[in-house]
Amino acid sequence: MELIPILSTIVLVATISTFLLAIGAYILFKIREKKGIHIYPKQPSCVEAELVAPIGEKEEIKPVKAEENAEPKSTEPINEKEKQKSADLRFQEYKKEGIVKKEPAEEKKGDDISDGKESSKFLKYTSEGYVPPKEDKDSGAMRWR
Amino acid sequence: MLNYTVNRRSIPIVNDGIKKPGDDKGKKYLKRIIISGLFSILFLYIIIYTLPKTILSTSSLLEHSVTAALIIFLVVLLFRYFSTLFFAYLYLNKYTFKHAVNYHPFISIIIPVFNEEKMIKNSISSLLGLNYENYEIIIVNDGSTDKTKDETEKFVGLHKGKFNEIKISLINKPHGGKSTALNAGIRYSQAEIVVCMDGDSMLSPNSLKYAVRHFVDPRIGAVAGNVKVFNRGKFLTDLQALEYLEGLNLVRNAQSFFKLVNIIPGPIGIFRREVILNAGFYSNDTFAEDADLTLKILSKKWKVCYEPNSISYTEAPEKLQQLLRQRYRWTRGILQSIKKQKKILLNPLISFGNTIILWTMFYEALIWPIMNITANLFFITVALAFGYTSLIFFWWAALAFLDLVIAIYCIAAEKEEFRIVAYALIYRIFFILIIDVCKTFSTIEEFLGFKMTWKKLDRIGTAKI
Repeated sequence: MELIPILSTIVLVATISTFLLAIGAYILFKIREKKGIHIYPKQPSCVEAELVAPIGEKEEIKPVKAEENAEPKSTEPINEKEKQKSADLRFQEYKKEGIVKKEPAEEKKGDDISDGKESSKFLKYTSEGYVPPKEDKDSGAMRWR
Repeated sequence: MLNYTVNRRSIPIVNDGIKKPGDDKGKKYLKRIIISGLFSILFLYIIIYTLPKTILSTSSLLEHSVTAALIIFLVVLLFRYFSTLFFAYLYLNKYTFKHAVNYHPFISIIIPVFNEEKMIKNSISSLLGLNYENYEIIIVNDGSTDKTKDETEKFVGLHKGKFNEIKISLINKPHGGKSTALNAGIRYSQAEIVVCMDGDSMLSPNSLKYAVRHFVDPRIGAVAGNVKVFNRGKFLTDLQALEYLEGLNLVRNAQSFFKLVNIIPGPIGIFRREVILNAGFYSNDTFAEDADLTLKILSKKWKVCYEPNSISYTEAPEKLQQLLRQRYRWTRGILQSIKKQKKILLNPLISFGNTIILWTMFYEALIWPIMNITANLFFITVALAFGYTSLIFFWWAALAFLDLVIAIYCIAAEKEEFRIVAYALIYRIFFILIIDVCKTFSTIEEFLGFKMTWKKLDRIGTAKI
């Protein structure tokens, strides 16, 4: 007798048996699941828990809320090469999406303004960083006309 | 053990996403059944009405449509196989030449436990032997009803790790599900990086060391680890060991080439803590909270990659019933998670990569199992009704050959046990067929909105590194 017909019969029987086994096992699984069904009672939005920890350091769970509109930014890489590389990548990403990212210097300057003088919506970029337009006018620097 | 004093006090915990899936959906699904039924009748009517007007007879229509379906199936299968293999190879190659950097941020390892008295000791022991110097362990007992609480309390304190003292804390909270337990741990943590794992899993010594270096890239939000089956030596667990290698890890390797890994596995997921805060924590409105969180992270445009050397050993189901329960939950959970990202699924302009990933998941969960079952049913019918028995043999031989090649590749790449290769011969005809039948039924039940509960797998507790 040839080998292929024998193997074919084996494969056919195996496939049919597997089908039957799979369907049978699934039905059995559903029956067993139905027997053990239990619904959890709805829970309150805040529950009391017990913290067991070695004394010292932090102990509180901060009530952190989900920040829906955050985006990838975060930790600085370790070595200079990686730092530069990731800075470039980040720049590309923000440029692509059209999101303006404030530089740290800009943020700092902005804070200073709001603390001391009248806050301005528009800032001018100079070699000193971002300054209010009026302040720059008074500096006497050459301007394009 | 080192000298320390244990402090015990009560703390408030915010419960997230308290709504369970599958509630109040009866009418909605009845409407869906009626609409799809009407569309099916209309479709059949069009075929029956237009058929006599064409040159096709009923038998030739069947013949042609089956041939076309089989060709499509084969093309898709080959494309899926070779594209996965190609990108997995590219990623592994790129990965091989990447150097580790000197980067050691503080890490919190969060272990949610629910009735894990048999496994928790081994889990903690594996964590105390990690090759990493800057980490703590937070165990969250999710209202266990066995002796888990007593077992874990024994470990609270400062323990000697490989390089320095490791702080172990315990949070005892009322039962609320794995997601609420993980969220409680994440909230308590103040680390830059958090590792979420299962209470029954054990990490390999180098898992943190290798995973952490990916976070040097500020775009990386999370890293998926490599899950391996620990309780091998049994027929079903060996088959699952092969499945984890060629079905899950290979795919993650390929996805990692694009930094778009779609599921960070429960037994080992490494996240930037701020990313979880941004994504809105784990939610328990799906039954696959890990897939759900990963999709949420991807939707926030963070990158997710895979680290093959961050290994987590886990106990796989040893009985068919347990396996079906697990896969039933996975399938329905994944479909629920995809449904939550409907916007991205339907609009590639939001994020093209994510849309592709979601469609791939949708295809794997819904279309592929049905295609596989249909192909097998076709060959059975052809063999029984027309006597073409050899066709099913050649079909099996072709698929077994592909599986064998991939199994050899995966085992060589991961330096795994070579004996598992032999299971590739029955992998598709036996294992995948059973899984696909389960997936199809689960999909139908999800579509019809059947109620579903989470039941934990029974653990044997034999695993030890």
